[in-house]
Amino acid sequence: MKILIQQMITGISIGSVYALIASGYALVYSLLDFSNWAHGEVCMLGAYCCFMATLVPKMPLSVSCLIGIGGAALISLFNEKLAYRRIRNNGSPNMFLMIAAMGLSTTYQNLANVIWGSKFKQLPRFFKTTTLNINGIFVGTTDLLCIVISLIVLVILLLIINQTRFGLHVRAVACAGRTARIMGVRIDQVIALVFVMAGALAGLAGITYGMKYNVYPTMGNVGLKAFIASVIGGLGSVPGAIVGAVLLGLIETVVSGYISSGLRDLISFSLLILILLIRPSGLFGVDVQEKA
Amino acid sequence: MKKSMLFSAVLAILVLALAGGVFAADLDTANPIKIGYVGALSGDTALWGQAGLNGLNLTAEMINEDGGILGREVQIIGLDGKGAADDSVAAYKRLVEQEGVVAVVGTNFSSCNIPIAAVSDELHVPVIATAASNELVTVDANGNLHPYSFRLCFIDPYMGYLAGSYAYNELGLRKAAIITDITDPYSTGVGGYMLDTFTSLGGEVVAQEEAQNGDNDFRAQLTKIAMAQPDVLFVPWNYVNVALIGQQARELGITAVMVGADGWDTNELIELSRGALEGSYYVSRPGFNLPEAAAYFEIYDAKFHSSKETECLYGNDGLMWIKQAIEAAGSAEPDAIRDQLEATDSFDGLLGHMSVDPANHNPSRDAAIFRVDADVVTYVGIYDPAK
Repeated sequence: MKILIQQMITGISIGSVYALIASGYALVYSLLDFSNWAHGEVCMLGAYCCFMATLVPKMPLSVSCLIGIGGAALISLFNEKLAYRRIRNNGSPNMFLMIAAMGLSTTYQNLANVIWGSKFKQLPRFFKTTTLNINGIFVGTTDLLCIVISLIVLVILLLIINQTRFGLHVRAVACAGRTARIMGVRIDQVIALVFVMAGALAGLAGITYGMKYNVYPTMGNVGLKAFIASVIGGLGSVPGAIVGAVLLGLIETVVSGYISSGLRDLISFSLLILILLIRPSGLFGVDVQEKA
Repeated sequence: MKKSMLFSAVLAILVLALAGGVFAADLDTANPIKIGYVGALSGDTALWGQAGLNGLNLTAEMINEDGGILGREVQIIGLDGKGAADDSVAAYKRLVEQEGVVAVVGTNFSSCNIPIAAVSDELHVPVIATAASNELVTVDANGNLHPYSFRLCFIDPYMGYLAGSYAYNELGLRKAAIITDITDPYSTGVGGYMLDTFTSLGGEVVAQEEAQNGDNDFRAQLTKIAMAQPDVLFVPWNYVNVALIGQQARELGITAVMVGADGWDTNELIELSRGALEGSYYVSRPGFNLPEAAAYFEIYDAKFHSSKETECLYGNDGLMWIKQAIEAAGSAEPDAIRDQLEATDSFDGLLGHMSVDPANHNPSRDAAIFRVDADVVTYVGIYDPAK
């Protein structure tokens, strides 16, 4: 029983990072109907921004984290203004947005290699004590912090989407962009703000990932797992992305722990294919006929 | 002592030569001897690839200042194998077919050199692996020799044998667990021999877990290892993963002594592991602990301002071994070099003395034990269980 509880904690910890990234995917997908493949790299750049800030003497770690989150949000906004908005305004198909995202992804990865090199960096942690021992169940303090912060941030995100006027605008654009425009919603502004939010979430994910593991140019590849999570939950659905992410984290941990690590990705990707075949809209998704 | 003094004198002359370019006058630069290098020059393990190439370039510079090889200039051509098998094979083929190299040094990965060895059978240009320690780098699965494939490092069975033996005999540990990378022949190879030796001596294996390269979270597997309560955990991985496995193992309450192999051998290990590997041990080459190597690093550091990576010593030794072969053959033809490499009964490099077994191209050389503490890695000494 102890093993199972320990594995569940690990699964939720992994899933919480996936959830932060996956919710960013879902937000952008819900508005623009394309998979933003550069999202993982925004996550990586957020971690590097935080890392650079920690090098400044006497800089509190919490401020470095905010700089990382802010940096990622700005980069995400930059992507929207530089590439996506122009493609959208040209009336090009959504496939062009996805190709642009892939280009940005490769560019950022190479740029990180050039600027910071391929050496692995480490982010400082908030606590000196690494683990809490609760009746033989070990919970990492960094993990606990990450889970709690992720939970709070994701609840705030859901409240913004469901309870605020801005959230109403986001849902309106997601539901019917043209109608929303006719009704007076400033679509470009809404999309820009959504990119800022998605970027901030990616930045937070990058920082938590960097604290738990390392910061390196290819760390954005974790975005692929988050993308799978958002497909499982239903592309375009933020609650779905969160549930899908935690589910994926748990499945990966249970498969690694009880079946075989070698089969972990096989099972994760098989699950993705199965969901696309049986329930293309995922657990919480809506119509995906035209989704990329 | 005399040998190290002589070496220091030679190095000093070489430094002066580098500064003044005194020997360069008679060098035949129109007809250079081209030596290739394949290593990960980008990506996660570029630390090693860059160090290897730097080592080759520095030593080539020294050789050229000293009149080259057979009076001809040495040219180094380094290509990026990215630490991946397909890219490394492509790099080796390009070096041979397009650049016209007479020999190649690299890579440091068994997973890359195993396929390169098969290609070298066809292209007939010798390749000297640096730290690629899997048996299949020089012989195929049926035990047939790859005639053009050589290596500088000792092989997986020997490292596994030393690690297993050290854990059982010297550290007195009896219950072992292991976590291996199922995608890496190095990890499964060394890991298998660690366990074989440990159990043959009377030790018990209480947990065997697997993970994959690219994983960052090993807690699912480590949770099961923690429940088995081993007193030694074998971790035959590369340093980045070793650091993560170490931290996560300690977070899960695993207090076992961790024992590894040469994948741990980098200065990055201390910084990345956040003190989690305190009290661990690994088997590797003597590295910079030999005086000749320490002297070389002073020059290397002055030029590259780079961290102390053993791969630069491999780069030097690879090139110097090729130089010795060319001079012995009196020819820089690939087949002549191959014959001399195979016939090597004595080569003194920065990593110590070695000889080659012509039957399998494996070198016979000394190995050392290192102890990892919170902020320092200590050289324990040369370890030979037979003595």
